[in-house]
Amino acid sequence: MSLEDIIAEARETILQCDQARAVAVAERAVAQGFDPVQVLSEGFSYGIRQMGDLFGRGEVFLPQLILSSEVMKSAVAILDAAIQGGTPQAKAKMVIATVEGDVHDIGKGIVVSLLKTQGIEVYDLGRDVPTVKIIEKALEVEADIIGTSALLTTTLMGQKKLEDELRKNGLRDRFKTMVGGAPATQRWADRIGADAYAEDAAEAVTKALALLGK
Amino acid sequence: MSDIFTRYGDGSPTRMSKEDIRFDLEEGTQDAADRGKIPALTEAELDRLFEICTMPEKAVTVERGDEVIVSFDAGTLKLPVRAGVPMDRSAAILTHERAFCSDTMELGHVDYSYKQLKAIIHEECQAMEHIQLNTIIPVFYGAMPNLGLYTKPDGPIENWSELLPLAKIDEAKAAQEEAMEHAVKDIVYVASRMYESGADGINFDTVGASGDADVLATLKAAEILKEKYPDIAIEFGMAGEFVLGMHGELYYDGTRLAGLYPHQQVKMAEKAGAAIFGAVINTNSSMSFAWNIARAVTFVKACTEAASIPVHVNVGMGVGAIPVTNTPPVDAVSRADKALVEIGKADGL
Ligand code: B1M
Repeated sequence: MSLEDIIAEARETILQCDQARAVAVAERAVAQGFDPVQVLSEGFSYGIRQMGDLFGRGEVFLPQLILSSEVMKSAVAILDAAIQGGTPQAKAKMVIATVEGDVHDIGKGIVVSLLKTQGIEVYDLGRDVPTVKIIEKALEVEADIIGTSALLTTTLMGQKKLEDELRKNGLRDRFKTMVGGAPATQRWADRIGADAYAEDAAEAVTKALALLGK
Repeated sequence: MSDIFTRYGDGSPTRMSKEDIRFDLEEGTQDAADRGKIPALTEAELDRLFEICTMPEKAVTVERGDEVIVSFDAGTLKLPVRAGVPMDRSAAILTHERAFCSDTMELGHVDYSYKQLKAIIHEECQAMEHIQLNTIIPVFYGAMPNLGLYTKPDGPIENWSELLPLAKIDEAKAAQEEAMEHAVKDIVYVASRMYESGADGINFDTVGASGDADVLATLKAAEILKEKYPDIAIEFGMAGEFVLGMHGELYYDGTRLAGLYPHQQVKMAEKAGAAIFGAVINTNSSMSFAWNIARAVTFVKACTEAASIPVHVNVGMGVGAIPVTNTPPVDAVSRADKALVEIGKADGL
């Protein structure tokens, strides 16, 4: 099987939520000596981003998205082991929360599910979370990224408060930050000094990987 | 200067060239057409939309004869609560009737969910009776089906938002089905009491906020109410532009609810006995007003063409091309209204 065939099949297994085939494709890729990073990023990860996109258009539904992310996790485990030559790699860590005063968490939940498929260890603090709690958790787990979600124009300021508090406490350089939620934009991220903005769950994955330098 | 003052979907002001506005109009209508699998706007409609977007006036309005009815959601939450004006709910309704010339109004409680209203229903009935004695315009009673409130810690049922990320899909589906039963009972109980207290109509606001099960519960409740009170006027105000598939396998009259867009949603609402359909099209805060309004008008036009009942488009912060701001700017609001009515053929707002 050529690399192109493997990549195409990897994508398909995610779109079809086919666990057994995904594992088989990942194992075949490793056995044939293909670059596991390429199979992961161009095959499985591409597939999951496509699923995220289809979900955003109402063409697939949450249970399918969750199923495909489970399929993705099994494939990632096999490829990850090959990338590390068998030794498990320290996982990237991300703390995520809906900001204080805001109880909207449906979108954030979807973002969390997709981020987990990339082997990122996600600490989801839930909704209506005070800034100080977010920072405490990020310090405790030594997070690489702090992500915040805000759905209200009135709570959007919570994302700025995080940037301000990090700066005030000399912690800004310890973490990368990502903002999201309907009222957030790239302009907003630039204005408050956040490192990334993601419009939807699929983009959250791409941006998180970029922040992690992957 | 050829630059036109306009805004982004987050309300931030900007200036765009006429060419860029035209480009965004074309992209916006195409986006709606692709997603909804509906026709894009015609060249003539895009020309008219371009005119509306580029009119030099700060505020614009519809042509004489094109005026439409307005109905409300979160009606009595607007002045006394959100705007912080110290007035009670009946004063808010009278202000709408006598100062704002609203065509209709909605009485709603600050705890705006059918589940929460059971305990205070006697007070709500009294408020409705009192208001009906003082007003001429039709006064609806409204609240949200809000299925999420039936889950822990607010209710007795396992929380599907927690079950789904753990891949407990069957459990998450069962929890949603159980929540629907509670919601139907509560909606029918509260709506019946309010209707019998003189409400001119019942508004279901943010239908689908918790996904497809939220929609199905509301459709079933509407069916029961319509059978009980054949003359009842029911308004269905949606939560988003497509029905979020939190369950994915729920059907109404043989149609899968997840993924339905406004032109399909309206047919479900009609079957269940709705008298007014409140279409929602989400505003993208990163995109321009031109892009958002072209998209909104495309969806609304398909919806009004499909509908046999009046369509009142939701035009509030963050929906119907209105920017996501606390006080939406009049330049954007008036242009959105004009376009939705004149090109989208909205029957009301
Ligand atoms: C860290 O990195 C990232 C990266 C990407 C990230 C990210 C983080 N977070 C999100 N993303 C991105 O990826 C996700 C997946 O693709 C996306 O997430 P989204 O969340 O955008 O998308 C979800 C998949 C689907 N979308 C949603 O879930 C939001 C839908 C709507 C209908 C909505 C809902 C469901 C709810 N609501 Co609320 N609600 C509305 C919304 C109207 C609308 N049509 O959008 C909105 C947001 N609500 C609003 C309001 C006003 C309110 N709500 C309220 C309450 C609620 C419910 C509880 C009923 C419910 C939330 C249930 C829950 N558990 O989340 C109240 C506030 C409560 C509070 N303190 O937070 C209340 C104040 C109403 C009231 N008076 O009670 C409006 C905000 C307007 C504004 N100016 O800010 C609103 C636009 C509706 C409206 N037009 O009035 C992206 O944004």
